[in-house]
Amino acid sequence: MAAVLEPYVYEGGVHKHGLIIELLEDLGGYLVQSTPAATEINLVMLIPRKDVPLMEELAKNILGKLTRAPLTGTEIAVVSPTLAYHHLPHSACDVAEHLRRDGANTNMLGLARGMGRRVALSQDYERKLINEHDIAVYSFGNFSDCIMNKKPKLFSGVDVPIVATGGPDLSTDDVEGADVYVGGIGRVSHRLRNEGEIDSLDVLNKTVGEVVDKLREEISRDPLAVLPARVMKEIKEQVPEINDVLTPAPITLQLDGMRVKLPFDQFHEKLEQLDLDEDVSLSDVANIMPSKMKDYILIKIRRRSETGFTI
Amino acid sequence: MATLEKFVVETTVEEEAPPYRKIVSDIISDLGMAGRIAKIKVAIRPEDSLFQLVAVVRGVLPQVILKDFAEIQKGDHEGEILITISVEKHLPRLLQILWDRYGRDSLEQPDRWTISLFVDNPEEEIGSLENLVVDDPRRTLKSNLADMAIRVAPEGFRVRYHSLNGNNFIFVASEDTMQKEWIDEAHTMLKELKGDDASGSSA
Repeated sequence: MAAVLEPYVYEGGVHKHGLIIELLEDLGGYLVQSTPAATEINLVMLIPRKDVPLMEELAKNILGKLTRAPLTGTEIAVVSPTLAYHHLPHSACDVAEHLRRDGANTNMLGLARGMGRRVALSQDYERKLINEHDIAVYSFGNFSDCIMNKKPKLFSGVDVPIVATGGPDLSTDDVEGADVYVGGIGRVSHRLRNEGEIDSLDVLNKTVGEVVDKLREEISRDPLAVLPARVMKEIKEQVPEINDVLTPAPITLQLDGMRVKLPFDQFHEKLEQLDLDEDVSLSDVANIMPSKMKDYILIKIRRRSETGFTI
Repeated sequence: MATLEKFVVETTVEEEAPPYRKIVSDIISDLGMAGRIAKIKVAIRPEDSLFQLVAVVRGVLPQVILKDFAEIQKGDHEGEILITISVEKHLPRLLQILWDRYGRDSLEQPDRWTISLFVDNPEEEIGSLENLVVDDPRRTLKSNLADMAIRVAPEGFRVRYHSLNGNNFIFVASEDTMQKEWIDEAHTMLKELKGDDASGSSA
């Protein structure tokens, strides 16, 4: 039985952070993302549950901070009606930034024609791109009439769970098509930093966390044939070119797969043949597809009911 | 924002007005227009896809003419005009105008207060340069007001009407065909905002 992994983020100085990585490897955990910024570093990790105290102790000794990051291993689309200054950078970017603090990987997605009421619409390509994510967070405005009666048409064709945000305090039932609605985050022209605003962002993170928990629970009923974090580790070891990719998250984990930021045409065969176990390659347990995002590779891991085994 | 004499935001649902008021005040601050606007009223009816903004601006500064802040005389060299400025803040705009008109090769800047301009007929050019309009605050204000209104209005409302008549600014936006009664309504709003019988713009 595989160890239960807990998501954590380490924040501390670059000095001696290698000790954290070494301990993580010794414990059988996974390093999801490493973000150095000058003399500071952020490490997003999956740590075996029983070994968390060990890691906490080491983090304390080297004067770093270890905090739980419940959204680790998820890729969330933050959808804004357009990319105009009416919606960005506030509040959509603030929403994305706050989600990242809990470990999520976010992609900002501005629709080409999502603005307005009667004229708002989404395109097939945009819907497919949103569906490549685990969750879609829609960032709406301040008017309840728009949010209840006009904007829900942007949800059509989106199969992943939808979290809608907006200014008015509405109930989820008022917003047809949304799995959850979070109020208090409407259109603003300033950075969300007042007390009430930060509270609303915290509520959003908590709500998204609950949606993620539900998705994880659903996955646990019919588990994935292999852990996405394990596939990520194998890719890092067997496809050295991934180390030359300069994006912040060359392999972006999702709840049931990952996005590998290498060109599909050049690398899909190499990934299909990736050795996971004796006589088991990645193509036996996962679908490897071209992503709608640039020329990246999208990997969706099959369930045990489909493969008949887990590794 | 304390400089505004009157600042009203009305929406169909009363509770939705304060967040919009904050948007308006943020944008006015961002564009540095707080000192230029005396009174402003915004009315939004989302169910009709209607946005109306009326504002009364403070007295507009006069045009800035080159001779107001510069001495223009013939230079020592043939075809040279020497412009000696006394207010540096107008220099970037003046240079842009001169570059556009004469080309960069015709200009020299020996120091920050002096511009040497080389032309074929300096006498004639000196006459026209003296009355050159370097800055027109009214024009700047108009474009700033339009910019402010477009930023404040909901993004999808792209059918727009705007007018600046004297110190009175009216902006109406919708995503549907513009209706005359909406514009008339905005004129009435302006009258109420001014609190007298002065008329707004005639469309």
